[in-house]
Amino acid sequence: MPGHDRRPRATAAAVTRHAVLILTVFGMLFPMLWALSASFKPGSDVYGASPLPMPATLENYRYALGEFPVARLLLNTFVTAAGVTVLHLAAGLLAAWSFVRFAHRGQRVVLGLVTVALVVPPQALIIPHFLMVARLGQRDTFVGLIVPQLATCALAVLLLREHIRAIPPTLIGAATLDGATHAETLRRVVLPLLRGALGAVAIVVFITTWNEYLWPVLVAPSPEHTTIQVGLQMFETQEGPEHGPLLAAAMLATMPVVAVYFLASRRIADAFLQSGLR
Amino acid sequence: MFTGVLSLLEWDLTSPDRSFVGLDNYRRLAEEPEFPHALTRTGLYVLAMLPFATVVPMALAVMLWKRPGRASDTYRSLLFLPVVLAPVATALAWRFILDPLGGVVNLTLGGLGLPEQDWLGDPDTALWAISLITAGKFVALNMLLYGAALASLDGRALDAARVDGATEWEITRHLVVPQLTGTTVLMSFLCVVFAGQWTFTNIAVLTQGGPDNSTDNAYLRLYTYAFVFFDAGTGAAAAVAIVVLLTVLFAVSAPLRRRHARP
Repeated sequence: MPGHDRRPRATAAAVTRHAVLILTVFGMLFPMLWALSASFKPGSDVYGASPLPMPATLENYRYALGEFPVARLLLNTFVTAAGVTVLHLAAGLLAAWSFVRFAHRGQRVVLGLVTVALVVPPQALIIPHFLMVARLGQRDTFVGLIVPQLATCALAVLLLREHIRAIPPTLIGAATLDGATHAETLRRVVLPLLRGALGAVAIVVFITTWNEYLWPVLVAPSPEHTTIQVGLQMFETQEGPEHGPLLAAAMLATMPVVAVYFLASRRIADAFLQSGLR
Repeated sequence: MFTGVLSLLEWDLTSPDRSFVGLDNYRRLAEEPEFPHALTRTGLYVLAMLPFATVVPMALAVMLWKRPGRASDTYRSLLFLPVVLAPVATALAWRFILDPLGGVVNLTLGGLGLPEQDWLGDPDTALWAISLITAGKFVALNMLLYGAALASLDGRALDAARVDGATEWEITRHLVVPQLTGTTVLMSFLCVVFAGQWTFTNIAVLTQGGPDNSTDNAYLRLYTYAFVFFDAGTGAAAAVAIVVLLTVLFAVSAPLRRRHARP
């Protein structure tokens, strides 16, 4: 085929491709972008049709941060997400390690149960979790908020188990031969090798917990402990149709995660991929 | 386990007064219209989102995979954003643009001379609006999973076809898409499992199941039984019913998934 007639067609195809992709990106992000823009608009034209905030103002953000405990809610969210992440890593690592290191006959059954736990929807567990937390007097505390969210750690266990199994047994055997205890082997040999997998688990768990809505709304509805996702709704019921500050608060609720995402988008996407494929 | 025991009791969550009622809670679930209705609506959500869990992300992933490079990486990271965006913030943004009076969607439609709609307030459109809002997350995550499947395809067969003069479209149609069948089966299955869970937040924030229960789903029903009506037993029975349904689905679909599993 003569080269001169291929070129223009290839260009046309490339233009179409970019057009389709740009439109899709735009379509998927449009509500967020529009809300972001509107959050900078002064109260009177929040609903205006202008795509850019003209004139732009920080009034909504000042109001949201000043009149409502948005900063406190963000801190609560961070504490909760960090707590859940650390516990997930600890429980996941220890469980995975014992699965590999202390293999026993009941192994398959226990592993099967863990796999079942993976597909049980968290919403199906809220009633017993709620009751336990209420009985233990841990409603509206960080303990009540954080600990039951460990129920989803099956994923961490299975993922880390795969990674520990990939470590050559001779390496662990060598450590044992050198007189290392289990704890030492785990800390000095296994942990450094698992850094990538642990990072992936941490990323996914942190983001998921940051965005969690159902559990905080049930168990810790007060502003002292609840997370920003629930706070947004509180904000809304108290403010009625005052939409500017609400949008500003919504942007504050999601921007920390977005900022982190843009710093390491490749790594974060990979983390979701690993955990998604199990 | 505890859920299973609870489902046999009649109990309002807080009082010491509870009694064993056997299977009454299950009978109530099946006989009163709410729960079957919620299951039907959940099925509709699944149907509405199925294309966004399969065809759309597949097309996007193939487009990005065909031309690797900076531009594709940028598109990919932007398209993945809905997965990390806070669902409550996303829902509020949607409600803002769908506002029946001043939302930009209706302003635009009005400007074009098209009929305006109360998208979330009309029983005929609310379920579809919620589905579309939730679909973004499916597109984003599944695009990534399709991308991973594409990356592990055997490039030699594709090159051979190219040498034989097959067009890119033919290669996609006859070589690439068939090899993605396993992924598509898996994505459809995950769509069934996650449709109810992922719509939950959007429903809770945007419509609370209304108008006229048109946006109800199985999980919202469970939540309503337990924490709005304080009827722990029926709520737990709903939870058990959902898990049993999912397990049956999992078992029934096992041969299908195995047949298409990638070697």
